[in-house]
Formats: sequence, structure tokens, C-alpha cells
Amino acid sequence: MIEDLFEIERLAYGTSPLHRLDARIKLIVTFGAIIALVAYPVNPSVYYVALVFAVLLGLSLAISRVPLRTFLARILVILPFGLSILLFQVLFPPIPFPTETVLTELPFGVVITAEACAKASMIGVRFVLCIGFIILLSSTTRIQDLLVGARRLGFPSEFTLILGMMTRYLFVFGQMFLRVRNALSTRCFDPFDRSLPYGYRIRQLGNTIGTMFIRSYEQGERTYTAMLCRGYGKDAFLFVPKKALARSEWGTLFACMAVVIGCPLAVYLLFG
Amino acid sequence: MHIPDSFIPITQGAVYWVIALVFIVLALRWVKNEMSEEKVPLVAVLAAGVFALQAFNLPVTMGTSGHLVGGALVAIVLGSPFAAIFVLSLVLIVQGVLFGDGGITVMGTNIINMGVIGGFVGYYGYHGLLSVTRNIYASAAGAAWLACLIPALCAAIELAIAGTFPLVPGMISMGIYHALIGLIEAGITAVVLGLIVNSRPDILDHPTGAPS
Repeated sequence: MIEDLFEIERLAYGTSPLHRLDARIKLIVTFGAIIALVAYPVNPSVYYVALVFAVLLGLSLAISRVPLRTFLARILVILPFGLSILLFQVLFPPIPFPTETVLTELPFGVVITAEACAKASMIGVRFVLCIGFIILLSSTTRIQDLLVGARRLGFPSEFTLILGMMTRYLFVFGQMFLRVRNALSTRCFDPFDRSLPYGYRIRQLGNTIGTMFIRSYEQGERTYTAMLCRGYGKDAFLFVPKKALARSEWGTLFACMAVVIGCPLAVYLLFG
Repeated sequence: MHIPDSFIPITQGAVYWVIALVFIVLALRWVKNEMSEEKVPLVAVLAAGVFALQAFNLPVTMGTSGHLVGGALVAIVLGSPFAAIFVLSLVLIVQGVLFGDGGITVMGTNIINMGVIGGFVGYYGYHGLLSVTRNIYASAAGAAWLACLIPALCAAIELAIAGTFPLVPGMISMGIYHALIGLIEAGITAVVLGLIVNSRPDILDHPTGAPS
């Protein structure tokens, strides 16, 4: 995951209209879309909502000019855990369905019903779209802009200060992680090498991880001292100048939110 | 065990968020009051380090691989379950918002599982085992194993309440899988603690190994 960090930030430095859009709008629309998707009840009309949201996502992706391959690759990395939950959902439905259409019967009395498959696919569609929205947000918005946007939206200053500090050092430790991994492979150490005793591999990895833990603690101490020298104290906060949204930005926000709120409502009222 | 969006209904997600926020505020207060002076920046930087540590792919028996969560380690070294809540909340926010690992509406649930439950189990498990075994490495390993297993079981229960996961098969599969993954967490936590005792004992909450 950490290898992606640099790629994500590189992508986020793009110049498309979506990249230049104020981070506040992107945050509101992304979170709004995810909440709307999750809040929509699990019944077949969710596919209409999903279709409209997929079009919105596709359009934004086209405008942002984020490479489709990178985008899909990042979604694929996240899928396995969710898909395994869905598989369980199909094999052992947690709540019995009132009517059951048996598709196939597997050994050990496991029965696959059409209803369980339908429910799993409805949850699955929402799940993939939610990830899509988040990944589009992080590939089109710099971390610093996200923080400034969150602060301007009224996110408490304490959190943005801490998150800002953490994200700054993510890259430092990301680099450190890559260097350490290179150093390990230069010494021909492979943690998955079965010819080495297991205890030895664990000790080596533990010492490496422990060293990184201590180094990040010491980095924290240094940063803390340096900040004290520059006047950091109890009342420190992240200063973000106020900035009004332009008229066109308000327009974009209202148009997107009309889709995000209006579409699920309309579909629910029309199709139930 | 990052539960993704859409697996927990929005109302339940909101309840978990409220509980998680209470603990985040408590953790923030702990960092401000209990750690000597204003060490918020230190813990924030440490959180970035823990995020990087989680990237190490670690071998578990039978061809599976796992990675560190680190909640128990942070709670033991810094001497409070709130340290784990603080660090893991930051890590989970970054994972959720930047990578889509874990979700937005379920982030509260994930913070409760890995941060709150993992932190408390790790910290009190360590001190409980320490009073019995009198060996800091064995207790750290045991606590780390529990701090991996119990949050996974909680996640299975929450998913069962949400109606998206069967209770008994879910608990068995999540339990067995994380009991295995927990072994690596246990081993690594014990080795890291050993390294810290040897090289920087001053950063430990209780350098001699005696419960405070």
C-alpha cells in the first residue's frame, strides 16, 4: 500500500479542472455520495441509483484524466476482504429469506439461493462504487488541500494540525520503508524463504521493524523539540485563511449534490 | 479486518461513529494531560511510523502472510490504551480517506475494533499476563495475540448484527484466520519490545518491566 503513496500524490498534482476544483466541494460530494449509497436500502432499485452514481463517477474520472488502469488497479487492491465477506453471505445467509429459490446445492448441506446472490450483488455494487469515489478523491486532491478543505469546512483545528503533521511524515517513513526493504533484499534476505529457520526470520524482521519504530519515535522527539523552539504550545493551531467559493464552484456543488441527493430520493419514490 | 463501506447500515455506522468519537476525544485529552508536556506532535509522527510499519509483509505459517497492526505494541510502549486509540485512529483515517481501505461510514466501527478494543485488550492483557508470568516478552506476545484475535471476533459480531455476515461460521473463520495472523503479531511485538528494552529503555513506560 505504501508504494502507492508516492504515485497517489504524483497523480494529485495534475492540472485538470477536477484537480483545480476546490477541495471542499470534492470532499462534500464524495462523502455525500458514499453516505447516500450506504443509506439506500438494500432492494433491487439500488441498481438504478448505482447506475447514475457510476455515470457521475465515470464523468468525473474522464474530466480528471486519471489513468483508468491505475484507478482500477487501486480498486482491485482493496477488494479481497469485502469480497470474502460477500462470499460468506452467499454460502451462509445470516438472515433466512422468506422465499427461497435454490440455485445449487453444495456438499455439507450448503445451499446457494438466488436471494442470497441478489443481496450480495447489491451490497457489492455499493461497496465498489464507494471505493471508486474515495480513490477518485485521493487521486485528484493533494493531501495538504484535503486538510485545508477539511479545516475550512469546520473540522476541528486540533485534528487537522495532528493529521497534517502525520501526513507530512508519511512520506518520510514511506521512503524509509522502501530503503529498508531494498537493504534487506540487497542482503538476499527474503522473509518468505523457507530454507531459513522461522525463528531467525521473525527475529530479523522484528529487529528491522523495531528499529523503524524507534526511529519514528526519535523523529517525533526531534520534531517536537524543533516545534517547541519555534513557539509551539498548548494553543497552537493550523492557520487557514478564509476563502469564499466562486459562483461557478457553487454551481458545481449544487449540480453534484442535486444528483447525489435527488437521484436516490427520486428512485426510491418511483420504484420503492 | 478493515470493514468496508456498505457492509454496515448507515444508522449502526453512525452509532459506532459516536462511540468512537468519545474515545478519540478521551485519547486526545490523554495525550495532552498524561504525557509529559504537550507531546501531541510526537505521537502524530509516531503514527506515521506505525503506518509505514504496517506495510511490511510478514510470513505466517502455511503460505499465508500478514502484517502488523501495532495497537498492542503502542499501548505497551507508551503505557496507555489511549495511545493505541490515538495512533490507530490517525492511521485508519489516512487508510480510509487516501486508500479506500476501510470506509467512511464504517470508520467509527474500525476505530472501535482496532483502536479501542485492540488498545484496551493489548494494554490490560499485557499487565494481566505480566502479573501472572513475570516475563515481559511472553506477556507482550500474549497480549498482542489477543489484541489481534478479539477485535476480529468483534468485527464478526458487528457484521452479524448488521445482517451481512453469518454469526457462527463468520466467527469461526475470522477467529481461526486471525488466531494465525495473531501469531506473527505476537512474535514481532515481543522482538520489538526486546529491542527497545536493549537500546532505548527510557522510552518504555516502565523500563524495568514492573507494572506501574
